[in-house]
Amino acid sequence: MGNPKWLVRAFFREHWRLYALTTLSILASEAVAVQFPRLLGRFTDALQAGLLDTQAVARYALWLAVVGAGSVALFGLGQQGNGQLGRSLEYQLRRELFAHWERLAVTAFYRRPIGDLLNHALNDVRAVREAFAGGMNNLTNAVFLLVAALWMMVQTVPLPLLAVSMLPLLLIPACVVHWGPRIRAATRQAQEALSSMSDLAEESFSAIRLVKATASEPVELQRFTERVDDIVRRQLGIFRQSGLFQAAIPFLGALSFAVALAYGGAETAAGRIPLGAFVAFTLYLALLITPLQQLGQVFNTFQRASASLQRLQSLLLEPPEIQDEPRAQPLVQVRGEVVFRIASYTYPGAREPALRDVYLTVRPGQTVGLVGRTGAGKTTLVNLLPRVYDPPPGTVFVDGHDVRSLTLDSLRRAIAYVPQDGFLFSDTLAENLRFGKPDADLSELQAVLHAAAFTEALVTFPAGLETVVGERGVMLSGGQRQRVAIARALLKDAPILVLDDSLSAVDTATEARILDALYRLRRGRTTLLVAHRLSVVQHADWIVVLDQGTVAEQGTHGQLLRQGGLYADMYRLQALQAEGRA
Amino acid sequence: MNQQTPERTGVSGASGPPSATGGSARSTPAGPGFVQTADEVRGSTSLRRLLPFARPYARHFLAVVVLVLLANAAAVAQPYLVKVAIDQDIAGPHPNPQALVGIGALYAGASLAVLLASYAQVLVLQYAGQRVVRSIRLTLFRHLESLSMRFFDTNAVGRLVTHVASDTESVSQFFTNFFLTLVRDGLSLVMIVVAMYQLDARIATYCMAILPALFVISAVFRKRLRQRYQTTRTRLSNVVAFLAENLAGMRIIQLYQQEQRQAQRFDELNRAHRAASRAEYRLSVLFNRSFELLGNVAVAAVAWVGGDAVLHHTIPFGTLYAFITYIRQFFQPINALTQQWNTLQSAGVAAERIARVLAVQPDVRDPEQPVSLADLPDLRGHVQFAHVTFAYQPGRPVLHDITLEVPAGAFFGIVGATGAGKSSLISLLVRFYDPQEGVITLDGIDLRRLRQADLHRLIGLVQQDVHLLSGTVADNIRMFRREISEQQVVDAARTVGVHERILALPDGYQTRLFSKGVNLSLGERQLLAFARVVALNPRVLILDEATAHLDSVTEQWVQHGLRAVARDRTTLVIAHRLSTVREADCIVVLDQGRIVEQGRHAELLAQGGLYARLYERAGVEELADRR
Repeated sequence: MGNPKWLVRAFFREHWRLYALTTLSILASEAVAVQFPRLLGRFTDALQAGLLDTQAVARYALWLAVVGAGSVALFGLGQQGNGQLGRSLEYQLRRELFAHWERLAVTAFYRRPIGDLLNHALNDVRAVREAFAGGMNNLTNAVFLLVAALWMMVQTVPLPLLAVSMLPLLLIPACVVHWGPRIRAATRQAQEALSSMSDLAEESFSAIRLVKATASEPVELQRFTERVDDIVRRQLGIFRQSGLFQAAIPFLGALSFAVALAYGGAETAAGRIPLGAFVAFTLYLALLITPLQQLGQVFNTFQRASASLQRLQSLLLEPPEIQDEPRAQPLVQVRGEVVFRIASYTYPGAREPALRDVYLTVRPGQTVGLVGRTGAGKTTLVNLLPRVYDPPPGTVFVDGHDVRSLTLDSLRRAIAYVPQDGFLFSDTLAENLRFGKPDADLSELQAVLHAAAFTEALVTFPAGLETVVGERGVMLSGGQRQRVAIARALLKDAPILVLDDSLSAVDTATEARILDALYRLRRGRTTLLVAHRLSVVQHADWIVVLDQGTVAEQGTHGQLLRQGGLYADMYRLQALQAEGRA
Repeated sequence: MNQQTPERTGVSGASGPPSATGGSARSTPAGPGFVQTADEVRGSTSLRRLLPFARPYARHFLAVVVLVLLANAAAVAQPYLVKVAIDQDIAGPHPNPQALVGIGALYAGASLAVLLASYAQVLVLQYAGQRVVRSIRLTLFRHLESLSMRFFDTNAVGRLVTHVASDTESVSQFFTNFFLTLVRDGLSLVMIVVAMYQLDARIATYCMAILPALFVISAVFRKRLRQRYQTTRTRLSNVVAFLAENLAGMRIIQLYQQEQRQAQRFDELNRAHRAASRAEYRLSVLFNRSFELLGNVAVAAVAWVGGDAVLHHTIPFGTLYAFITYIRQFFQPINALTQQWNTLQSAGVAAERIARVLAVQPDVRDPEQPVSLADLPDLRGHVQFAHVTFAYQPGRPVLHDITLEVPAGAFFGIVGATGAGKSSLISLLVRFYDPQEGVITLDGIDLRRLRQADLHRLIGLVQQDVHLLSGTVADNIRMFRREISEQQVVDAARTVGVHERILALPDGYQTRLFSKGVNLSLGERQLLAFARVVALNPRVLILDEATAHLDSVTEQWVQHGLRAVARDRTTLVIAHRLSTVREADCIVVLDQGRIVEQGRHAELLAQGGLYARLYERAGVEELADRR
């Protein structure tokens, strides 16, 4: 389905009529274009022979104009068609890419930086488009123009003259193929040097206090100078290549013209060929320079596009790691029992296990708190439940079913999840909430916002629910983002709710209000509260303390305090910090 | 006929040479520049202000002009040579085949001259242009780093980077592409016109009629093209922004099963981009075709007018041939010149922005006659605040009448709630800001009488979040100072107890770090910052303790490092941990910008004030003992 080569082929099959038309149009344009020098040649001869009168001159001029206009128009049409087709292909490839990415497991995005993926979606797709738009134009144009011009030339002048004059021109495609990749590589290096300088500037300005406090301005200037010098060097490297290249092409054209002038001129002077043929011939030579150059470009374009297509291919063929097992069953009538029986869980590619000996049962309707230091394994644990990461078979169960034996769709429908960073999309508040329930009406939205203690904040936004939250929700504070994310999850109203440290940026008073609402709304339904701050889990039915990937303690708040272990320790430390802040 | 294709691919023989930004001006032949803004008017003035940077290279620019003249003369001579050949040796009354070899050789020689002169001109110009931009960049960077903290408080780092990287790049286009086009294409236009008038004034005058038409068409199209190009670019960046956000939030999309909805959103953006891109392409094809069409019609017109002239024997045929060549040569320079108009505009805007930054004066300045460090051989590190009041914004002081004496070699802890003024207090001591009232002295010398560089050598600061710079571990400890030896670096690391950890890194002291420092743990970063201070060896140390939660082993390790750094220096610590201040010589309690209590741990407890209240209520005694 997602194979781009297949896609490209299908695209061709679908649009072959249009492609045939554009090719024909360019072909016709060349057929007309090559008449131009011939016409000028005949005009010359007639003029020389004194066969013309004023009217005939005007007629010739008119013909020249018509031929010129015709070829330009026809070529424009073909070019237009190819360009539009290339843009359609570009659109389809991007659509296909996004659809594919939506099917991939989240882990796929951790392995590869997002910047890389964007690069594929941007540059590789563009490279393919270039091949199908500009590349097609150039190819059709170059091939037909060359053939047509050569054909006309053979008819105009003797073969030896043609062959000798053509010699320098034949080097043109070779020049393009030789210099093209080199100039591109040099340009890339210069770009890298430029971004290295930007990185340093950013680093230095961000650390300006450190720089100033350590009197390191001269040192920083020195480091900056090195980067700038590198840019100068690389830039000059480009121009050493491109300068020569850009001078070489006209030079080869001129050389060929010089040969034609000496050799062809002598032939004309000797009367072996007419002056008109000589004039037409020199014009044909000039006509050849562009298509020869284009041939080289086409070679480069197609080479680059094929590499890009290859990359897109391997990207699109990557199978989703997490998907329905062959005989997956839907989860129906969810009670909300969650059981973890994890002997050991190791992230794909990691060496040390992230979780060891985690055996937990959450009874339907219970509220369970998961606490522990950063890196204790809390987030890992709750991410295994909706199969953000795939747990080993037979380790995580919902209502007695192994989550891996359930359809992803039904499993995820049963779980509402609030991430720590409260990830929002650059859309309105209302649309963000509707992630939880696409058809929710206004009163439902307001109800969940109220439960998430966001009502007061909402009135500070003039646009209310229609406020656009900015990229990833930057227009909101961290605490506001978390609260909207909680409202989003409440709107989903799923049998199981997971809050992954989603109250960390909310002040304690608000936290208490949200927890109040949570306990009220979630009565009788399963809730997992991951927290760093203990006040969040204090009133939970059961508290599990994780440490270094394993269960260190569990019990109710009172039991754990009396135990005087890790939990009690954390509790006292946090109480002190809370005072310090107050 | 030169069939110009708008979809240029690969290396093209386009007028402008490529540059590192791969500028828009070259990816499409009708390359649009930036959106027009009000800045443009002032832009040209600003460009003139940047001219002094180019002055040292005046000779290079002059050389470029000479080389261009040479290349153009040779290029313009070529059609003339052909005319001579046709009229004298080929179609003249006495055809002379032998002479043609000579003319052919001359023609080839002229081509070679063009080749060499153009190549040399590119090299010289780019050398000069790149050097000019280099010196603008260095000046700008030096200036920015000299600005005071107030400037950095109000200007986003991203924007400053833009000034240094892309604004300078735009300006560089002015010194290279714009200059070259103006000289080369301007000159060739002039020379073509002169050559035409030399040949035949009447026909040349007819030809001139085409000039304004060309300029108008080109200018009108370019403006529209630029707008469409902008639209396409904006929409493409919408597509990219959407992708970036959605890939980052894919977990949420999948968990909330909103794949279809997001795919639909993406489709809308994708479609919008396709539409804009098609419209842009359509216009650019139209533009190129009309230019081409005009070229062909012009040739036909010359054939008509010239043909008549030949008919009436006013000009020989060779002259007509030359005219046909010249009229074709007209188009290239005009195309290039109008294209560079955009470069001029964007360069003007960029120059304006650069000039504005260069005009900013630092708030905190060095005195005209600084106290020389050489006159003060051994500073002891005695710090005094006398009635210091400070506000970031006028009328809203964050520190009120602070008077504080820190004896040389003492260890002072500063505690207080968020917003009590702790950070402001230490910012004043390193002169990130100057207080509105009061005096701060170091060994009795007003800080404002010292050069900032000297002051910063005397007073070291360790910030809460540790900044690592891209470089090796050793470079980060010695802050890239060559005068600090490897041995000193190792000693510093040993002193604070991070030596073993560094050795355990893949390449030990030569391990490369990245600015975000992800390859080090929190504790390691903290200790590295301590080692840095030891290596730089200031007399007075200010430390803003990290608030991050550390596990107890790391915590102890960091505390040990801290004590090592504090030894033999005056030390002020903004403390977030009790274990840090328990042993302090003095604890300063700040509240709402005022010092409310001051004394040793035991004294403050006995006093029963704010400090004691916090301490006892939290039941920390027990906790502190556990450590």
